Amino acid sequence: MVPISWYLILSAVLFSIGVAAFFIKRNIITVFMSIELMLNAVNLTFVGFAQQWHEVSGQIFVFFVMVVAAAEAAVGLAIIIAVFRARSTLNVDQIDLMKL
Amino acid sequence: MLNESILTLITFVPALGAAVVFLLPRRGRVIPAFALLVTLVTFVLSLHLPWHYDYAQRGFQFAVNVPWIAHPAIHYHLGIDGLSLWLVLLTTFLGPIGVLVSWRAIEHRTKEFYSLFLLQQTAMIGVFVALDLFLYYAFWELSLVPMAILIAMFGRRRGPRAALKFFVYTFLPSALLLVAILWLYAQTGTFDFVQLQARLASGGFASGALWWVSLAFLVAFAVKVPVFPLHGWLADVIEEAPTAMAMVVAGKLGLYSLFRFNLGLFPAQARELAPLLVAVGVIGLLYGALVALAQTDVRRVVAYAILSNLSFCTIGIFCFSLSGLNGAVYQTINEGLSGGAILVLIAFLYERYGSFDMTQYGGLASRLPMLCTLWVVTTLALVGLPLMNGFVGEFLVLSGSFPVHPGWIAAATIGVILSAAYMLWMAQRIFYGQQSLLVSERPHLDLGLREHLTLWPMAILMIVMGLASPFWMKAIDPAMSSLANHPAATPLAAPATATSMPEPLPQGGAR
Amino acid sequence: MIPMVNPALRVLPEIILTLFGILVMLADAVMAKASSRKPLGWLAVLGALAALAASLWQNRLPAGDAFYGVVRTDAFSVFFHVLIAGIVLASLLIALDAVSDTTEGLGELFALILFGAVGMMFMTSAVELLLVFIALEISSISTYIMAGFRRKSAKGPESALKYFLLGSFATAFFLYGIALVFGATGTTRIPEIASAIAAGHTPAIIYIGLAMLIVGLGFKVSAAPFHVWTPDVYEGAPSPVVALMSTAPKAAAFAVLLRIVYGAFPLLHDHWTPILWWLAVLSMTIGNLGALRQRNVKRLLAYSSIAHAGYLLVAFAALSADGIAAASFYAVAYAIMNVGIFAVISHAGGYEDRLTLIDDYRGLAWRSPLLGGVMAFFLISLIGIPFTGGFFGKFYVFVAALHSGLIWLAIIGLVNSGIAAWYYLRVATAIYSRPSESSPVHSLPRPSLALLLALVITVSGTLILGIFPGGVLSSARAAAATYTSVSPVPSSSGTSAADTTAQH
Repeated sequence: MVPISWYLILSAVLFSIGVAAFFIKRNIITVFMSIELMLNAVNLTFVGFAQQWHEVSGQIFVFFVMVVAAAEAAVGLAIIIAVFRARSTLNVDQIDLMKL
Repeated sequence: MLNESILTLITFVPALGAAVVFLLPRRGRVIPAFALLVTLVTFVLSLHLPWHYDYAQRGFQFAVNVPWIAHPAIHYHLGIDGLSLWLVLLTTFLGPIGVLVSWRAIEHRTKEFYSLFLLQQTAMIGVFVALDLFLYYAFWELSLVPMAILIAMFGRRRGPRAALKFFVYTFLPSALLLVAILWLYAQTGTFDFVQLQARLASGGFASGALWWVSLAFLVAFAVKVPVFPLHGWLADVIEEAPTAMAMVVAGKLGLYSLFRFNLGLFPAQARELAPLLVAVGVIGLLYGALVALAQTDVRRVVAYAILSNLSFCTIGIFCFSLSGLNGAVYQTINEGLSGGAILVLIAFLYERYGSFDMTQYGGLASRLPMLCTLWVVTTLALVGLPLMNGFVGEFLVLSGSFPVHPGWIAAATIGVILSAAYMLWMAQRIFYGQQSLLVSERPHLDLGLREHLTLWPMAILMIVMGLASPFWMKAIDPAMSSLANHPAATPLAAPATATSMPEPLPQGGAR
Repeated sequence: MIPMVNPALRVLPEIILTLFGILVMLADAVMAKASSRKPLGWLAVLGALAALAASLWQNRLPAGDAFYGVVRTDAFSVFFHVLIAGIVLASLLIALDAVSDTTEGLGELFALILFGAVGMMFMTSAVELLLVFIALEISSISTYIMAGFRRKSAKGPESALKYFLLGSFATAFFLYGIALVFGATGTTRIPEIASAIAAGHTPAIIYIGLAMLIVGLGFKVSAAPFHVWTPDVYEGAPSPVVALMSTAPKAAAFAVLLRIVYGAFPLLHDHWTPILWWLAVLSMTIGNLGALRQRNVKRLLAYSSIAHAGYLLVAFAALSADGIAAASFYAVAYAIMNVGIFAVISHAGGYEDRLTLIDDYRGLAWRSPLLGGVMAFFLISLIGIPFTGGFFGKFYVFVAALHSGLIWLAIIGLVNSGIAAWYYLRVATAIYSRPSESSPVHSLPRPSLALLLALVITVSGTLILGIFPGGVLSSARAAAATYTSVSPVPSSSGTSAADTTAQH
């Protein structure tokens, strides 16, 4: 059997990749995907811990996260479309009307 | 009981008036007339204080002490002693004068002006009567706000900048003052001045921390006075502010707080710093006098004259001799009165000729004899001519301080001579000599009824305070004697002065 | 035995808001396309009022859990429910004043405000991290949409995008924190986490989990260094929305932070107080220094809100019931004055932000003494001058800090509030300067009934907090008292300054 720590390390690595991509990537869609990656890394952690504790609530949590992520994606993509319409670009560096 | 509610009345009648001003119509002179009425009522109410004040008794009178906020324990604690008595009176006395001097000068947005003016009265009176440190701080901070808005809104062209400077200068140290007050509360569990004084006197505090706390108090007040290196806001504010505000912006609030809190709560720490403050006072005195000599704008002359005179008060305070302290209190009142009067005179002059530049004036005396007379009276009061109020204060300070710091005081006397020089020079350039173009061009209108009503009370009071100083001193002296060094420390000052004083001597001298 | 309470009553305000939200949305759908949506705004106001009344009524319920220990009503949750309902009420009034009959998507805006409020309210009453997460998302997703509501303006979508990306990023952190805490303790119920920690043997990942929770919430309350989104979002979002989202979601997030650090991790306070200490110092300093160089009023207030989050965190770091009470009180005082100032900004600038720079506000008080005076009043309260709510807010915070021996934190905080005076005064000075001929303040709209109501609520609230703070403070203390059983109070009023080391 694969020990729990492997799942945790994998999810931590995925989460870190997501964080790194969030800062490195310049395309809004990719940045958005990196957030999704972070959320899925968290899901993996939940499932792993649920298995360890024999506690089903961890798995239930995953369902909620998926639903919320879907809602977030719906709104997020709508916002991205609005930005693209207004500015005709998806590069985060060019969306700088207000200085950060 | 009137004695218990009188201070509340005096403090909050102007604030109530400020609220009512908002309901009045903007027609004619309704609003200034109402403001005048409110300030007069306040003044009459405040006359109750010296009337019923028990001069034999020490400690605070007319006290009221009720809980305001349960947690932390903040009390609505008011009361006055011989020190605050006269400062309250001075403030209420200057109230109607402030309205009268603004009568013509403020034409637009009178509602805003007079309601803020009245609110400012409440804040200043509140500072003098509050005996709960928290309440005191609340009034202290409140006193900044209407002042700053009035300077910004009704000042001259650069008013907003001057207001900003004033507010930042005074607000920053106030933040540290709040830390100090909260620290005291955390240590003692009380904001009450009387209790705090007893606790601090009983000792048991880390002296290092206490030293920092006293420093926070000192800096906050020194900026407000202002004491020499912290005076950066003064000249701009005096120059830009509407006259009614310039009259009250400097001096009394800061000096009162130095007396009450620095000397009252931290006598030991204040004495440690005293040599430094005396030195700074003398430097400020000379610096103010020299800068005043170099000015041609009359308001700037007066601004530096005020700095110079206030430095004089600082010297008196930090020599800790009884007559020095008495003199400093007296000078604080004089400064409010004579300094205010000269600013009023300048305002009247400006209303006639539209210039603050004294090089443009000359030979006014023959055209405006009344204005000239009152100007000269005020000038003489400011330079400390015998028989005038300024003389009593200056003499007490010099004679009380000389034995303590002979060298510094000798230097200070030079400043006094310089002050006579620039004040008399200014009067000479404006009123005597050749009539200037500006003066001969304009129609000459001497003082009208409103202006007489504004100036004469002040002029009369200056002379009365010079002749009958014991009337004031009998309240000031007991209040100061607890702050002064023990008589043994300064034995020679008082009797020596007694013989050389030309007029009835304050009780302080008789010690 | 605690008497049985119908669980629905424990979520009554949320139910009311949801129903009104659905009603507004449906009515919006069936109304004629051309007709004004403003009546829907008044319907939403009615909903907010009903929710406010229901929240106040909840005070009479005995404290307790509902829905299998997911929701808890106690003095703490009621306190924040009332606050959020009040903010929503005022924000709706501000929105009603700012928008015109033809503003696009107005019905949706009102519905979103109500739905967002449901999320914020659940945040304050949730004791199960799952519900905290869902509530946080309900609140966040509605505010993402509202931030970009001016779809046609260039800044609107950009504002929403920045808010959305950084907000979701923070949510991921928060979620990872929950997962790690779940892994360490085997539960996501806040009280059970505390008892699991008390039982001992919690693995070290709980510290990482706690840190991630704090990072996630740090974003939501815009504490430095997680504040970068704030100025842009405030600048691009419509002013009535900023009035809401600079106060209500933050108050809710602070409530969650209080619940988590004091409810779930009281025993780990050695670990989280230093974090909060630094967050407080950074937020105050970065917020105030950032505000100093702003020329845009909304950006300036964004930095000011970062600084105010810092003051609030000072109270958190105090680690005492007094600190919790001070934080709760501060949340109320800040919310009222900030909503108030945005009421003026929203009216003067309108939905389309006609006034943006500080210079645009020159002469506001000369043109309209009412608006100028009210704005100056709120600026004074934000500075923290006595007799206003802002003063007592700061006062209680710093008293609590000094009581806990956090002398340096108090000094840093008060020096900061001195610096802050400068930039608030720049705005106040502009308001009281004489207007130039071409100044945009000459074309102010007439104040509407909705605006006057909003101003009356906020001005009187700020004055009451400034003169008679006792009532709200005692509620805040009652709210704080729900934690005293678990919160350790390390130092009483010490007699020496020596215990400053407690903070490091």
